[in-house]
Amino acid sequence: MEKVCVIGAGSTKYGKLQDSITDIAVQSSVEAIESAGIEPKELQAGYISNVFGIADKQVHLGPVIMSNLGISEVPSLSIESACGSGSVSFREAYANVAAGFYDAVLATGVEKVTHTGTEWTTTYFSYCSDFFYEGGAGASFPGLFASMARAYLAEFKATEEDLAMVAVKNHDNGFANPKAHLRKKITVDDVMKSAVVASPLKLYDCCPFSDGASTVILCSEKFAKEHSKNYIQVIGSGRGGSPAALQGREHITTIPSTKIAAQAAYKMAGITPKDVDFAEVHDCFTIAELVDTEDLGFFEKGKAVEAVRQGMTKLNGEISINPSGGLKSKGHPIGATGIGQVVEVFDQLTGKAGERTVKDAKIGLTHNFGATGASCAVHIFKSV
Amino acid sequence: MRCISSKVYNLSSKEEFVNNAKAGKILARKCAKCGYLHLATTYFCQNCGNKGFENVLIEGKGKVVTYTIITVPPAGYEKYTPYAWVVIKLDQADLQVSGFMQNITSPSDLPLGAKTKVAGYDERGMLLEKL
Repeated sequence: MEKVCVIGAGSTKYGKLQDSITDIAVQSSVEAIESAGIEPKELQAGYISNVFGIADKQVHLGPVIMSNLGISEVPSLSIESACGSGSVSFREAYANVAAGFYDAVLATGVEKVTHTGTEWTTTYFSYCSDFFYEGGAGASFPGLFASMARAYLAEFKATEEDLAMVAVKNHDNGFANPKAHLRKKITVDDVMKSAVVASPLKLYDCCPFSDGASTVILCSEKFAKEHSKNYIQVIGSGRGGSPAALQGREHITTIPSTKIAAQAAYKMAGITPKDVDFAEVHDCFTIAELVDTEDLGFFEKGKAVEAVRQGMTKLNGEISINPSGGLKSKGHPIGATGIGQVVEVFDQLTGKAGERTVKDAKIGLTHNFGATGASCAVHIFKSV
Repeated sequence: MRCISSKVYNLSSKEEFVNNAKAGKILARKCAKCGYLHLATTYFCQNCGNKGFENVLIEGKGKVVTYTIITVPPAGYEKYTPYAWVVIKLDQADLQVSGFMQNITSPSDLPLGAKTKVAGYDERGMLLEKL
């Protein structure tokens, strides 16, 4: 296998955007191409992750984006894996470069849904569940994670205030991120007083519905060396699956696909969780970050809550979790999120993260899943 | 738990599952090779990969594993809000099922471990009720 590097990255602001889905996808793509210092004609394939293009009247986004970049002849692939679409797309891009099919490819993730309103998004997002058992019985996504939360709080004697501390921490990080959707600091009291969406989760336990696009350029190590001094290397890639419905899981408070993907990625990278300096994890709801950081092996089962209480996961704590602000504060344009996480790792490991820089970081991890973790991908990167 | 047929089924049937839920039962599939139990919507054994199953009808009674009370519903559920979406563990089998439960407005209405039963199936999905 070829060694694979990330040589460029770009992202729109996340939030409520006015431009079309195509426009924002092209904006992040152009930024990434320019950041890589390459010509579009050097790209040999495009991997485009998106879930609800239909909401902005554009599916089959790949050829449209390629045409806008002046490379209509370049093949592209559109990828949907619910909220994990970005990382799954990154994995396919990675695998093709690693296999030697391509020297350089673009991976763009994009979503444009905020114009549809809360009812549309709540309803359509529920189609990402195992609909026969979940969405079709009234379960919203906040509801599914709320069910995980109630089980977690009972099993590990945690409180709703503990969940709120995750939100407060991620908003602190996102406040330093100019591209974050919810760029404001909040308190535990703010979270506790916010409206209940699906008990025990309240509005501030939930990430926002966001618009946004993110792009990274992946390439072979040879291509990277020839074009730039400013790149990072992918050292681990893992994927996994879980029973699609929560009812099919032995433990409601763990996500099997995360464990499978993480073990594969750690094994490939030849590292352990202790070697990771920072991680961008899938905190679609506050409870998810607790579950994720345990399933990724950063903390023992049930211990993430104590880690949050002690501030171990804050920026430059024992392990910085979601220095970007995470899905919670940075925002969650679902097709873009997994790519946006890689943009953050690129920025962190190439000295572009500004105020939210994780000091002396050498190894970063991304963790992104679809639905309640029915699909998952984990990637590990090192500075070069 | 009783076997209702010795015939080996190859295809699952959501319709059969729904009809049994309407009668308060859970239609499950038992692997003909290793005995592993699945809900009726499975085609290959998750445990051993075998394709042959026999249908098993399980009493739709169990205890609450976890749940949420939804106040911001998806389309079609506005008139039922608030309501609970509940996961239960069946008493007679090592299986969990989930569904819709009306008349739950506060966590005090439904302690974890509470006894519940499958009470039907309609446009809201599988209906669960407290016992």
